[in-house]
Amino acid sequence: MIVLEQLSKRYRETIAVEGISLRIGRGECVFLVGGSGCGKTTTLKMINRLVEPDRGRVWIDGCDHRSTPPHELRRRIGYGFQQVGLFPHLTVGENIAITPDLLGWPAARQRARAAELLEMVELPPGEFASRATSALSGGQRQRVGLARALAAEPEVLLLDEPFGALDPLTRDRLQRRFQEIRTRLGLTVVFVSHDMSEALLLADRIAVMHEGRLLQVGTPRELLTAPSHPAVAELLATPKRQSEVVDGLLGIRA
Amino acid sequence: MNDQLALLPGYLTAHLQLTLVALFLGAGVSIPLGVAVTRRHRLEGPVLGTAGVVQTIPSLALLAIMVPALAGLASLGIAVRSIGYLPAIIALTLYSVLPILRNTVTGIRGVDAALLEAADGVGMTPGERLRRVELPLAMPVIVAGLRTATVWVVGTATLSTPVGATSLGNFIFTGLQTRNEAAILTGCVAAAGLAVLLDQLIRLVESGLRERRRRRVAAASAVLGLLVAYAGWAALPVAGGGRTITIGSKTFTEQYILSEVLAQWVEAGTGRETRAVQSLGNTVLLDAVVAGDLDVIVDYSGTIWAEHMGRKTLPGREQVLAGATRWLEEEKGLTVVGGLGFQNTYALGMRRAQADALGVRTVSDLAAHASTLSIGADYVFFERAEWTALQQTYGLAFASQRSMDPALMYEAVAAGDVDVISAYSTDGRIAALDLVMLEDDRGVIPPYDAMIIVSARLAREAPDAVAALRRLVGRIDESRMQRMNFSVDDGGLTPAEVARRFLAAEVER
Repeated sequence: MIVLEQLSKRYRETIAVEGISLRIGRGECVFLVGGSGCGKTTTLKMINRLVEPDRGRVWIDGCDHRSTPPHELRRRIGYGFQQVGLFPHLTVGENIAITPDLLGWPAARQRARAAELLEMVELPPGEFASRATSALSGGQRQRVGLARALAAEPEVLLLDEPFGALDPLTRDRLQRRFQEIRTRLGLTVVFVSHDMSEALLLADRIAVMHEGRLLQVGTPRELLTAPSHPAVAELLATPKRQSEVVDGLLGIRA
Repeated sequence: MNDQLALLPGYLTAHLQLTLVALFLGAGVSIPLGVAVTRRHRLEGPVLGTAGVVQTIPSLALLAIMVPALAGLASLGIAVRSIGYLPAIIALTLYSVLPILRNTVTGIRGVDAALLEAADGVGMTPGERLRRVELPLAMPVIVAGLRTATVWVVGTATLSTPVGATSLGNFIFTGLQTRNEAAILTGCVAAAGLAVLLDQLIRLVESGLRERRRRRVAAASAVLGLLVAYAGWAALPVAGGGRTITIGSKTFTEQYILSEVLAQWVEAGTGRETRAVQSLGNTVLLDAVVAGDLDVIVDYSGTIWAEHMGRKTLPGREQVLAGATRWLEEEKGLTVVGGLGFQNTYALGMRRAQADALGVRTVSDLAAHASTLSIGADYVFFERAEWTALQQTYGLAFASQRSMDPALMYEAVAAGDVDVISAYSTDGRIAALDLVMLEDDRGVIPPYDAMIIVSARLAREAPDAVAALRRLVGRIDESRMQRMNFSVDDGGLTPAEVARRFLAAEVER
């Protein structure tokens, strides 16, 4: 379980995050959504100490996360982001096994784990494990990024737009694959996205942020039926309208 | 050409040692320094600024400045040698720092921010991030800097000859002075070849590592390793050998010949091993013999009197010789063995035809025409007391004056590029090019008796060598020295050959 307690972060005069409190239950998938600059990425990075909060605390399974050195904390928490950041001097397999390697797993176990994860993200290990990262397509890179985040068998996964910049078909396939994996492994996930449709599809709960503050936290249904703030309603307007158009085309009356 | 090729292994080995040691030290300093700069941004300005300033110092000047700097340390009681290997290594190391340092900083800075975020995100410590991500990704850029440094250092190392470190520069310096094109060419080709070889080996290692070609890395590393091992092995002192007596020379033909003559003479007379250390800078020479870094030198009484003792007055030849001898022995603790039997004075020289046409016989005659004439002289002449004395006493004022290499001065006056030169009286080209030496009718140019000067250490440790040198006193008169000089400058002989002929002639006598 992750508890964010009154987290605040400023960059010089600019407020990035102001007084965020949020509980994320074990096995829950919580989306942080909002427009650009709303503070969702900063909030996410404060969980694994890529950004140190100015004020407030983060509790992971009852421990203040500052009690663990940052690198040890991050080895226990999977992290994936839009640019992926695959190391170009390592093979696909080595990229996936990087955290296990840092943890000192034996080489054979690292290779087995990389192969297992490649299977999981539907990239045949025989073909991909020893490949150079430069030979991957965008969708393949993001799948490898997801596999790398899962490599050291973390219980918590932090994802920042992991499926951004993909064509809709690939994106859809990856989203469904992710959903399967997460439920199978019982992962606790904090997922940053600016795409409300993605949030509605994948989230157990959605936390809507605006100008560094939390506007509303609730299940997709709660947000759709009772938005507490005009900005929340506005964010939901687009997916609602899209689904109405689709329903209309199919002859379904809402 | 064959004589030059015989010298090649020795010079090439010495050059390789200088280069490799300087590059290892340079990389050992620069890469950690570059890393430190990327960790602490405040360091960047001062560190890169300092390295940049060092780089702007002309390489020859950087080498030259190491000699007095080390001599200063030595005078504080720190046991360092001010000439030879040490000043060259320090200067070359400094010279290699900037390209490696700058490329290390640029390479590390150039690593994509997303990769740094990924490195942190997967749980690397700052050290792991540096070793596993930043350095490997910056490596091609760092290696490019190392290659630049390699080419620079191989080239610059040729300039370490005047500070007493043997290198391929010995070919170039002696070749230039003795008009030996084969020597110059050998030095140039060997230096260029060495630069290309080292550069390509480093390139192969780097590209092999990057592309994960094990065999390429192994092969190129093996060749580099062999070179390093060979250079190290060659640097080991030969066990059981006695101490080699070193004989220094300045950068002109007469000095090369005399250093060879003295070396062969002592070797023949005592059976001790000797070595001529050639092409040393003018002031380096005396400092080195005082410091005991050289054992024997030949210097000139007028040079000691005017340059080292700073005397402005000019008594007669005998008084200058006696004064210089006393100063060297009492102030500097050296042993003056005696005069070789000739002087090599400065003399103003002109083409005979022009001198006749103008009716110039003496320096006084010249003064009347000087305003329409030009003068060329060696690098130090215009700084010397006798030039000031000539200008003041005779009222000499030339239309133009230029400094040039002594080896080129004679050709320049013969070709009419300049009208008057600061000739050396023992130079064989005066007669060969039909030049006249103008009489110093008011006696302002000091006498320059060639004196054999020996370090305190040699006098103490090898009295037999000093005794052998004493037998050379008075053996070489002016015309003999002129003939020997000319057989190198124009006769195509090497200084060593001329020295062998001298010894053979002396044995017959």
